[in-house]
Amino acid sequence: MPDLATVHDVAATPLSRSSRPVLRVAIAALVAAAMIGGGPWVLDTYTVNILVRAFFVAIAALTVDVLWGCSGTLTFGQSAFFGIGGYALAIVFTQFGFGPGEAMLAVGAAVGATIVVAGLVGWLSFYPGSTPLYASVISLVLPIVLVQFLYSGGTFTGSSSGLVGFESFDLTLEAWFRLSGLAVIATLVATSIALRSDAGRVLGAMRDNDERCSYLGIDTARVRIGLLVAAAVIAALAGFGYVGFGAVAAPENAGFVFGTQLVVMVALGGRGSLIGAVIGAVVIEVASAYLSTSLPFIWELIVGVAFVAVIVVLPGGLLGGLRDLGRAVRRRGATVSAPVMLRTSEKPNAAPERDAIVVEVSGLSKHFGSLSVLSKISFTARQGELVSLVGPNGAGKTTLIRCLADGRERSEGSVRIAGHSIERLPADRIVGLGLGRKFQAASVFETLSVADCLRVARVRRERPSFLKTSPVLTLPAAARAVVESSGLVERLGDEAQFLSHGLKQALELAMVLALEPKVLLLDEPTAGLTRAERQGFAEILTGLVARERLCVLIIEHDLDFVRLISSRIIVLHQGRIALDGSVADVVDAPLVREIYTGRPASDACGVTP
Amino acid sequence: MITLALDIITTAAILFIVAAGLLIVFGVMKIVNFAHASFITVGAYAALVTSRFGLPPVLAPFVAFLAGGLIGAATERIVVRRLYRRPLDAILATWGLGIVIGQLVTLAFGREVQFVPAPISGTLAAFGVDYSLYRLLLVPTALVIAGLFAGLLNGTRLGLSTRAVIMNENLAQGLGIDSTRVRLITFGIGCGLAAVAGALITPLASVDPNMGLAWLIGAFMLVMVSGGSLLTLGLSCFVLGGLQVLASTFISPILGGLTIAVLAAVALRLRPQGFARA
Amino acid sequence: MTFTRSLSALLAAAAASTLLAGAAFAADPIKIGVPVGLSGANSVVAPSVVQSAELAVAEINAKGGVLGRPLALEVADDASGAAGAQKAFDSLVFQKKVDVLISMETSAARNAALPIVTRGKVPYIYTSFYEGKSCSPFMYVNAWVPEQQVPPIVDYFSKEKAAKTFFLIGSDYAFGRGMLAFTKAYIEKTGGKVVGEEYLPMDGTDWTPIISKLKSAAPGALITSTAGGAPNVTLTKQLRAAGVSLPYGNLAVDEGTAKGMGTDAEGIFLSASYVTGIDSAANKTFLSAMQKKFGADLKTPNDLSVPEYEAVYAYRAAVEKAGKTEASAVLKALADVAVDGPRGKIAMSQQHHAALTMYLGQVQADGGVKVIQSFPNVSAGQQCPNLKP
Repeated sequence: MPDLATVHDVAATPLSRSSRPVLRVAIAALVAAAMIGGGPWVLDTYTVNILVRAFFVAIAALTVDVLWGCSGTLTFGQSAFFGIGGYALAIVFTQFGFGPGEAMLAVGAAVGATIVVAGLVGWLSFYPGSTPLYASVISLVLPIVLVQFLYSGGTFTGSSSGLVGFESFDLTLEAWFRLSGLAVIATLVATSIALRSDAGRVLGAMRDNDERCSYLGIDTARVRIGLLVAAAVIAALAGFGYVGFGAVAAPENAGFVFGTQLVVMVALGGRGSLIGAVIGAVVIEVASAYLSTSLPFIWELIVGVAFVAVIVVLPGGLLGGLRDLGRAVRRRGATVSAPVMLRTSEKPNAAPERDAIVVEVSGLSKHFGSLSVLSKISFTARQGELVSLVGPNGAGKTTLIRCLADGRERSEGSVRIAGHSIERLPADRIVGLGLGRKFQAASVFETLSVADCLRVARVRRERPSFLKTSPVLTLPAAARAVVESSGLVERLGDEAQFLSHGLKQALELAMVLALEPKVLLLDEPTAGLTRAERQGFAEILTGLVARERLCVLIIEHDLDFVRLISSRIIVLHQGRIALDGSVADVVDAPLVREIYTGRPASDACGVTP
Repeated sequence: MITLALDIITTAAILFIVAAGLLIVFGVMKIVNFAHASFITVGAYAALVTSRFGLPPVLAPFVAFLAGGLIGAATERIVVRRLYRRPLDAILATWGLGIVIGQLVTLAFGREVQFVPAPISGTLAAFGVDYSLYRLLLVPTALVIAGLFAGLLNGTRLGLSTRAVIMNENLAQGLGIDSTRVRLITFGIGCGLAAVAGALITPLASVDPNMGLAWLIGAFMLVMVSGGSLLTLGLSCFVLGGLQVLASTFISPILGGLTIAVLAAVALRLRPQGFARA
Repeated sequence: MTFTRSLSALLAAAAASTLLAGAAFAADPIKIGVPVGLSGANSVVAPSVVQSAELAVAEINAKGGVLGRPLALEVADDASGAAGAQKAFDSLVFQKKVDVLISMETSAARNAALPIVTRGKVPYIYTSFYEGKSCSPFMYVNAWVPEQQVPPIVDYFSKEKAAKTFFLIGSDYAFGRGMLAFTKAYIEKTGGKVVGEEYLPMDGTDWTPIISKLKSAAPGALITSTAGGAPNVTLTKQLRAAGVSLPYGNLAVDEGTAKGMGTDAEGIFLSASYVTGIDSAANKTFLSAMQKKFGADLKTPNDLSVPEYEAVYAYRAAVEKAGKTEASAVLKALADVAVDGPRGKIAMSQQHHAALTMYLGQVQADGGVKVIQSFPNVSAGQQCPNLKP
C-alpha cells in the first residue's frame, strides 16, 4: 500500500529551502568574481604576481582540505600531484615546443599521469584493513619518491635545477590573475556543491565512522580511491597553471616540504571549511612573499607557533573557531540541514520464498594461533525466525557475529547468506547479499543529522546525487516504522551526537533496516535501555519477523527478553554450540544453568524437571 | 667487496643511532615525534658550540644529550602532553614544533652551512682495506647505545615502569605508576638521543638548520617497520640500510636514497603488524 | 652568532650609507639588487659576495656616486635554487624595482631567474663562474667559463702527474654536468681516458658509495665539480676520511671555502681567475680596503666574490658612458667598458663574456693558495655567437 508522502516541518516550499544555500553560494561567487575582475586595476604589479601564484597554491590547499578535513585522510602528498601537473607542462614544452597541439598534449599528459599515479597510490593506501596512519605514511613517501625521480632524470627533468627556458602561455599578468582567481572560485563552488550534496554526505560519514559505512554496504576503499584521484587531478591542474605562469618547474614544487606547507595552510585556515583552506593559503603565501625578505626567520617562527597552537587548542583552524563561536552565539542548537519529507519505498516485487533458509553455517572455526575461540559451529536459520544467541562472556558470540558479517574473519568452515557463500568477501559485499549488522555500542555518524545518517544508509539502494540535496528521504516501511515510533521523526534535523543513548540505538536500527536486509544481526541491543524502551524494542523486533519475514540473530544477556521474543535459542559455550532448540527446550535446561553458574546440575542426565 | 660490507655495516649503525630515539618515543607513547629532525639539528649545533668553545670533541654527544633532553622534556610538558588521544594531530603538532625549533636555531646561529671538525680523522687498515676510522667507530657506538637502553629498560625501576606503561597504561596507572612522569622522561630521552645522533653525524657532513630533515623520513619508516622493539630496529637498519647502500652503489646514488622509504612502505602493506597500536 | 653580527653590520652599513648618501646627495639612489644564496648550498660563500658588493658601493658613494646619485644595495635570499630564485627576483624586480641585478648564484637559480630578468627588462651582471653558454641580451658575465678554467688542470695532471685515467664526480645539475661534460671532452681530446663519472643531487651529503667506486676504479687523478660551498666541503671531508690522496682537481672550490675546510683541503689543485696572492697594486689596495672595512668579520675574498666587486665598478662605468640608467643604454655600454680591478683589466667584450687571466694553484697547509702557473688573457671562446654584439 503506497503511503502518501508525509511532510514534516512545514515552512516554505521545498524548492526554495533546498536552493537557499545554493543561492547564497552563487551570490558569494559572483561578488568574488567581480573582485577578481577588478583586482588588477587596484593592486600593484608585484602583488598581482604573488596572488596569481597564491591562487594556484590555494587550489592545491583546497584539495588537501577535501581529503583531510572532509574525509579524514591526512595527506602530505598533494604537492606531488601539483608537481606532476607542472612538470608535465614543462617537459612537453621543452621537448616539443609550444603550440595549441602541444598544450593539449601537455594537459593530457598531466591528467593522464596523475590518474595513473593517484590510482596506484590509492590502491596502496586504501585497502580493507588499512589504517589512516598508513595512508598518511604513503602520502608522505610519495613526494619524496617523486622528487628523487626528478633528480635522477638528467636533462629530461632538469634534475636539481628544474626546467626553465621553455616557451609557455603568453598571457598578460592581468589575464593570468583573472584566470587563476576565477579558477579558485570555480573550484570552491564546485567542491562546496559536491560536498553538500547527498553524495558528499558519504564523505563525512566515512570520516566519522568508516566501519559503519562498510557495514552499510559502502566500499569505502573504492570511494577513497576515487576521491583521491579526483583531488589529485585538480591539484595537478593547479600545478599546471602555476608552472605555466612562472615558466619554471623546480623540484621544490613537488616536494615533501611544500606538501607539509599545504597542510599547515589548511590547518590554520580551517580544516573542513573549504573557504578557510583558500584563505589560509592565500594569506600565508602573500605574507611569506612580503615578509620573507624583511623578517625571514621571525615570520616562519610565527607560522610555526601558530600552527602548533592551532593543532593543540583549536583543531578547526581559525575559521572553524569562528564558526563554533558563531554557533554558540546564535544558539541555534543542533539543527544542521534542511527539513525533509519521509516517503516509504515500494516493496520489491518478488515476495520472499516462504521461510527459506537464509543463514547456513557449517564447520565454522576461528582460532588465534593455538587459542581456539570458535570450534566447528554449524546451524541454519530461516526467514521468520528470531534466533537468540546466548552464553557466558567469552563464549564467542561476538566473534561468531563477526565471522558471519565479514568473510575474512573465520579460520575455517563455510557460511552461506541467502544461498550465496560469503567466501572471503569483505563486509560491504556481504551487506549486498542481504545482511545487516547492528553493533553493540550505537554506531552512527556523530556529526551528521539523523536524516543524513538514514540517507547514507540508503546509498546502496538509491544512488545519491552529486549536485543536489534531495528534500525527500525514502525509507522502507520497517525503517520508517522505527523512525516514527521511537520519536526520531521529530529530530530529523538534529546531529546524531546530541541524541540520547536510546535514540541512537533506534537510529542505528533504522539505518540497518534501511538496507532492506534479509538477515539482521544484533549485538546486545537492549544494553542500557530503559524498561519501556526494551518493551518497544521487543515489539519492533517481533513485528519485523512477523510482517517482513526477516531472519534475526540476536546476542543477548537478558534472559527474560530472550524468552519473550525468540522463536529459537542457541547456547554457545567455550566456542561450541551447547544447545540449539526452541525456547521451551532451552530456557529451563539444566545444562544452561550449569553453563551460567558453573555448578553441575543436580540431574546429571539433563532431563528437564 | 670488503669496502661494500663495511659501508653496509657503518650505514646500518648510523641509521640505528638516528632512529633509536624515535623508536623509544613511538614504542612507549604510541605517537610519532616529527620534531625528531629538529632535535638532530639541535644536537649538531650543540657539537658546533662545543667545538667553538674549544672543549674536547668527545664531550659533544653529552652536551647534545643534555640540550636535547631538556628541550624535549619542556616540549612534552607544554605541547605533546595534550595530544595523546589524537595521534595524527600529534604528528602535525610535532612537525610544527620542529619548524619552531629550527627557526630558533636559525635565529641564534644564522642560516649558513657550517662545519664541525672531525674529532678523529684518518683511516684504519681493516680487513686489508683503508676505511674511515670515524665511520668504523660509529658501529661500537651504536652497540653501546643499544646496550645502554636495553639495560635501562630491563634493569632499572624506571625501565620496569616504562615496560608496564607500554603494555597496559591504564593498568599501570591503576597500580600507582605515574605514567605522566614516565612519558615525560621517555620523551626527554628520545629527544636527547636524537640530539646525540646529530652530534655524532656532523663530522661526516655539514651543519645547517635543515640538516635533520633528510634523516627524518628514513628514521620514521624504519621505526614503523620495526613496530617497537630495539632488536627489530637493528635488524631493519641492517637490511634496509644494506639495500640502500647496494642500490646506491650498483644503480645510482640518487635512487639509492629512495630504497628505505619505498621498501618500508611495501613491507608495511604486506605486514601491517607494525601498526597494530596505531 | 657570526651571522647575526654580520647581519647587523650589513644593516648598519646599509643604514649608514643611506644616511650618508642622503646627507651628501639629494638625488634618489640607484638600486643594485643582489640575490644570493644566503641559505642552501651557496650559504658558505654568500657572505663574502655581499661584503664585496658593500665595499664597492661604499667606495663609489664616497667619491660622489654615479651621475650624482648614490648606490644602494638590496640583498635577497635565493635559497641557492630555482624556486627561491623566482621569489627573490620577483621581489627585487617588481617590488623593490631595482635598476640592475649584480650577483653570484647557482646555475639552477640563474636559469630560473632569466625569464624574470627578461620580463622586467633589468640588466643582470652574473658574477659567478659557471658551465658556460647561457645567453640573454640582458645578461653579462665577468667570471670564467670551462674553456678558460679546465685546460690548465687537465694539462697539468696529464703532463706533470702522468695521469692517463681520470675519475669525475659532480653535483647533479646544470653546473656539475656542464663542467664535467666539457672536462670529459677535453680529456679525451688530449689523449686521456675517463674511467668513472658519478653525481649526487645538489643537496646530497652522503658520498660514501661514490667514494667506494672511486677507490676501486683506481684512476690517475680525480676531478670534481660540485655546487660551490657545502657539497665541496662534505665531499672533501669524506674523501680524506676514506684516505683518498690522488691528485685532486676541484673545479668549483674557492679560496674561502678551502680555508674553511682546514687541513682536509691541503693538496687540492684549483684553477681560478682570482687568488689572494695575486701580486698587483690593485689587488693589494683592494685587500687592505676590505680588511679596513670589515676587520675581524672579513670573509676571505675569493674567485666567487671578487668579480662582484669588479662588476659594481663595471656598472658604474657603463652608466657613466651611457649617461643614464635606462636598461638598453646600459646594456649597450657594458660591452664597451673596461674595469681595472684586483683581477686586472677586465672587459665583458667577448659575446657578453670576458677574457681573463687564469691561475693554476695548489692549496697549502695554512689554507692559502700557491700559484703554480699563470695564463694571461685566456679567451672565453664562443659562448653566445647568436647574441648581437
